[in-house]
Amino acid sequence: MRAVRWTVGAAFLVAVPWIVAAAVPGQQRYVLHVLIFTALYGALALSYDLIVGHVGSLSLAHPAFFGIGAYTAALLATEVGWPFAAALPAGIAMAGLVALAMGVPMFRLTEHSFAMGTLGFALVTQIVATNWVDFTRGPLCVTGIPKPQLGSLRIATLPAFYWMGLATVGGVGLLYHGLTTFRLGRAFHAVRDNETLASAASIHPLKYRMIAFVIGGAVAGGVGTLYVSYVGVLCPGELAVSLSVNLLVMIFLGGVGSLRGVLVGAAAFTALPEILRMAPTWRMVIYGLLLLIIVIRAPDGLEGVIRRRPSSSGA
Amino acid sequence: MSDLLEQLVHGLTLGSLYAMVATGLALMFGVVRLVNFAHGEFYMLGGYAFWYAYAELGLPYPVAGLAAAAAMGVFGLAYERGVIRSILARTWHVQLIATLATSITLTNLAILVFGTQPKEVPTTLSSTIADVGGVRMAWQRPLVLVAAVIIFAGLEWFVTRAKLGKAMRAMSQNREACAVVGVDVQRVALATFGISAALAGGAAALVSPLFNIFPDVGALLTLKAFAAVIVGGFGYVRGAIAAAFLIGLAESLAAGYVSYAYKDAIAFVVMVAVLLVRPQGLFGRRIGI
Repeated sequence: MRAVRWTVGAAFLVAVPWIVAAAVPGQQRYVLHVLIFTALYGALALSYDLIVGHVGSLSLAHPAFFGIGAYTAALLATEVGWPFAAALPAGIAMAGLVALAMGVPMFRLTEHSFAMGTLGFALVTQIVATNWVDFTRGPLCVTGIPKPQLGSLRIATLPAFYWMGLATVGGVGLLYHGLTTFRLGRAFHAVRDNETLASAASIHPLKYRMIAFVIGGAVAGGVGTLYVSYVGVLCPGELAVSLSVNLLVMIFLGGVGSLRGVLVGAAAFTALPEILRMAPTWRMVIYGLLLLIIVIRAPDGLEGVIRRRPSSSGA
Repeated sequence: MSDLLEQLVHGLTLGSLYAMVATGLALMFGVVRLVNFAHGEFYMLGGYAFWYAYAELGLPYPVAGLAAAAAMGVFGLAYERGVIRSILARTWHVQLIATLATSITLTNLAILVFGTQPKEVPTTLSSTIADVGGVRMAWQRPLVLVAAVIIFAGLEWFVTRAKLGKAMRAMSQNREACAVVGVDVQRVALATFGISAALAGGAAALVSPLFNIFPDVGALLTLKAFAAVIVGGFGYVRGAIAAAFLIGLAESLAAGYVSYAYKDAIAFVVMVAVLLVRPQGLFGRRIGI
């Protein structure tokens, strides 16, 4: 029965471009565009939740990893002419390496200091992206980023990008599930819930935090690469701290540390601006207030409402 | 040579600003163990309060400055009652995200109300230039430094002599013991937020005539002040003040001799460098503020 439900669900998601074309013929492009953003944001939020929700380290460095992956792939593709099949792994590897290098000094910090240190790293990355004009073209942006091409498969149309987004969120979802469910996941949760007890059981907190941080950073870099290959332009503004706030709203809206919750949160969050339809400044005011209210009144988010029982999450 | 001296004067001005903001952060952390991510926004709002009192209402500079500090003091009290009190007993995750959410809300509200165009508030002191042996600077700069020294001396007197200040110190050492001997811990926490916010407002009134006021000044300022708090030894006010001057001087020297574009990265570099060598901060960890 479960397998049937999954198959039907997957078939429905794959068939979305045709369903959209049949249901809203005039607005097909717009709906698909929103869905592509939803899928990519969902994958990014999952990679973020791996760090925040599962090892309990409140990192604000995610915009930096997203941007480093995006810039690596975009510059390799436009300046050196690397094909997509090489630029994507390069973006993932570079973001992962930077996460590894930054994790060493950052995890000397605990709690608030870690958050502030990672925020500092994100701000510095954006400053570098804006000011190193010779390399990143600064505020002039990297333009003309080629569409992904894998062998003879060229991703250029909106439905193709939709399937790419779907495959991305599916792949990241599987990775997320695999990392957080089995032995490794139990070690993550031990570190999150009680660091002292975890070390006493010879579960080294730093090791597991680093694993989550590096994998989360690398995935963010990969999503960044896919994002710019869809949008075609990369500006330093994409690395702004507000991306961290968006991701926090998503995971807290949906439910920290839960695959379904994070995806629901990402979908609700991407749909929200379409419903609100107002100036970005007003939107940020509302996100800020929303985050404040959720975190004080309903820290388990929508997932808590769905489950209707107290969660054991420490966040 | 006079070039170097000018950079040092600039560094001391920046250091005074960072020190006043960092003191507020360190006081809050010391007394209630909470890091206020919205503290830079307090400075930003203080700047707008000063602009309103000085440029719009036309009050004389000292009155407008004190009014801005007082307005922010009241804002700090309201913030404690409205937001902080309901999260004090929660985990640090909740506290951090709640104050971060406040900071985002305040920044964007300021954009809506005041626009993104920076407000310039030149005063007589900031537009007359002093020439001391070839070193040229606006009179406002020595004023900032002198005022900062007076404020820190007053604060030192307050926490060592005044009853409320002593209670703050006691609470930073042991909250439960304070409650047991009859200290009203809620009132002390409230006063701490009032004082910290008033310090941010005062800092804004002092340096706004030199630097412009704009809505997103807060994020970088919180980061730099927090870097000073970490470098100074977490929650130790004197250490934070010393570290803030260190960061201000490093930043202004880097802006003058290395690269102006990357000056904002200096505080972060100093913080990471110190943490790699001395994770407990330059002045070590001690108990209390």
